[in-house]
Amino acid sequence: MNPKQPLVRMENIQKKFGKVRALKGVDFEVYDQEVVGLLGDNGAGKSTLIKILSGVYRPDGGTIYFQGEKVDINSPEEARKLGIETVHQDLSLIEKMSVARNFFLGKEPTKKIGPLEILDLKKMNRECMIGLKQIGIELRSPTEFVSTLSGGERQAIAIGRAAYFGARILILDEPLRNLSIREQRNTLNHIQEARNKGSSVIFITHNVHHVCPVADRIVLLENGEKLGEVKAGELTPEEIAECIATGQMIKVN
Amino acid sequence: MLIIQNQEIAHHQNEGIRSKWTFEELRKIPEFGALIAFLALFIFFAICAPRFFSLRNITSLLTIIAELGIMTVGISFLMIGGEIDLSVSSAYATAGFVFVTLANIFTFPLGSLLAFIVALLVSLLIGFVNSRVVLRGGIPSFIATLGMMMFLRGILLGITGGRSISYAGDSLVPSLLTGIMAYRFRPSHFWFIAIVVVFSFILNHTVFGNRVFATGGKKLAAYTMGVNVNQVKTACFMISSVLAGLSGVIAISRFSLANVSFGQGMELEAIAASVIGGTLMTGGYGSIIGAALGAGIMGMVRTGLVMAGVPSYWYNAFVGIILVIAAVVNLKLRSTILGE
Repeated sequence: MNPKQPLVRMENIQKKFGKVRALKGVDFEVYDQEVVGLLGDNGAGKSTLIKILSGVYRPDGGTIYFQGEKVDINSPEEARKLGIETVHQDLSLIEKMSVARNFFLGKEPTKKIGPLEILDLKKMNRECMIGLKQIGIELRSPTEFVSTLSGGERQAIAIGRAAYFGARILILDEPLRNLSIREQRNTLNHIQEARNKGSSVIFITHNVHHVCPVADRIVLLENGEKLGEVKAGELTPEEIAECIATGQMIKVN
Repeated sequence: MLIIQNQEIAHHQNEGIRSKWTFEELRKIPEFGALIAFLALFIFFAICAPRFFSLRNITSLLTIIAELGIMTVGISFLMIGGEIDLSVSSAYATAGFVFVTLANIFTFPLGSLLAFIVALLVSLLIGFVNSRVVLRGGIPSFIATLGMMMFLRGILLGITGGRSISYAGDSLVPSLLTGIMAYRFRPSHFWFIAIVVVFSFILNHTVFGNRVFATGGKKLAAYTMGVNVNQVKTACFMISSVLAGLSGVIAISRFSLANVSFGQGMELEAIAASVIGGTLMTGGYGSIIGAALGAGIMGMVRTGLVMAGVPSYWYNAFVGIILVIAAVVNLKLRSTILGE
């Protein structure tokens, strides 16, 4: 195991939706500069768990420690302040807005003109192009509407945005869904790039083949509980898939 | 403003190198459709109605446009933020009544000013209550504000018993808002222009404006990016009702009379003007300058038809056709921008 203190540690996290217990006391931690795969079948509680970490949901029970300190994450705004950037399944991009306006949403740069604080549109356009270029994304124009872009381009923008703001933890919910094979490969490259630049990455998926090439560690969820975890290379993707299918770990750490 | 915005788009598209003002570039501005329709109707009426293009008519036209336009700016802001407000017409009448009643009571110096301030505060409160009902109650704004519209109108009717109230307060606020100036210009014309400039600026050039677009465009996505969407919507509801209230005080100051049926049906005119101006009813897209042009189109049709010799009964029929055509044209224009 990693001897260092985890960057984030979620302890005994519980969440109910009506009578459905989506999470029944899950422990989950992420270390510095690691890619963690969060794997499980549909309805296992993966998205619920990361929505608690990203401030979208509040847990019904449990504790979150960030760099060893107990924290309450009450809103996505608070999560972002901690350096937790999330790319949700539906991408958190607004189709009817330009790429640059999307890129800086929630953290808009401003400039002062007299007593007025106004949007620094020039800076938004310029920085957004630079930020995206750094992870190898070339856009035609920052004023283009997101609705004109392909799924892969949107995914790249969402990841590029998180990387630009120097995410300590980058959460990606099903990042390869609906992408072409080439776009999938690019996205995996972006994930590794983000990790190399100092981010930890949580990669949520139900497809074991998606996560195995990049994950340092894979956590398996099943029915709102943690089934177990595997380090990279301990089990083959087929064996991991078998664990998910049967709901039993072959080899528990 | 139009020119500034156009320059800006051209500027953005080429990273500092100003591109040519081609038709392709021009039609990407959201108020393009409304601008063409405005100019076309203006030329049409100027040809068909001999006295239409006279200073006297244009200033009286501006008076009508300003009152509808101020309300339209407010409701457009709210529609871009993803909600609707049917109670604007009642907020308009309520603010007018509050203003007249209090100005008649406040006989001390600056009494009408105090009455004016209270009337605006009451309008803000109406918007705030609307926002609470929608956001806390979780019901669609269409229903919540329909309820507010009927409730306020009913209160006015109940209190006054249907009687009109004449204005007997001091002339300070009425003359500041809508007193007759040279060539029959009125201050309300300039207030309207100032409001269009200020709110267009807020929408396009402030953090708040960016978040209004985001909240109206995709509420959940805006929320996950750290936008306090409820706060944004509350502010939009209050902008909508305070501008409606201002518009009501202006109109009532002009007539020196508050009547219970005042502004009835005006909410639909404002919504129509907003849609003609390119604002998307489902939120996330629109323009304040477009809203002003939309109000201009409505006002022109109203007076232009009469001056062209068409009985005023035909007004709604014309507006109906223009509204539907505008909605279709705006959809086409929007799809070239959004690539949908």
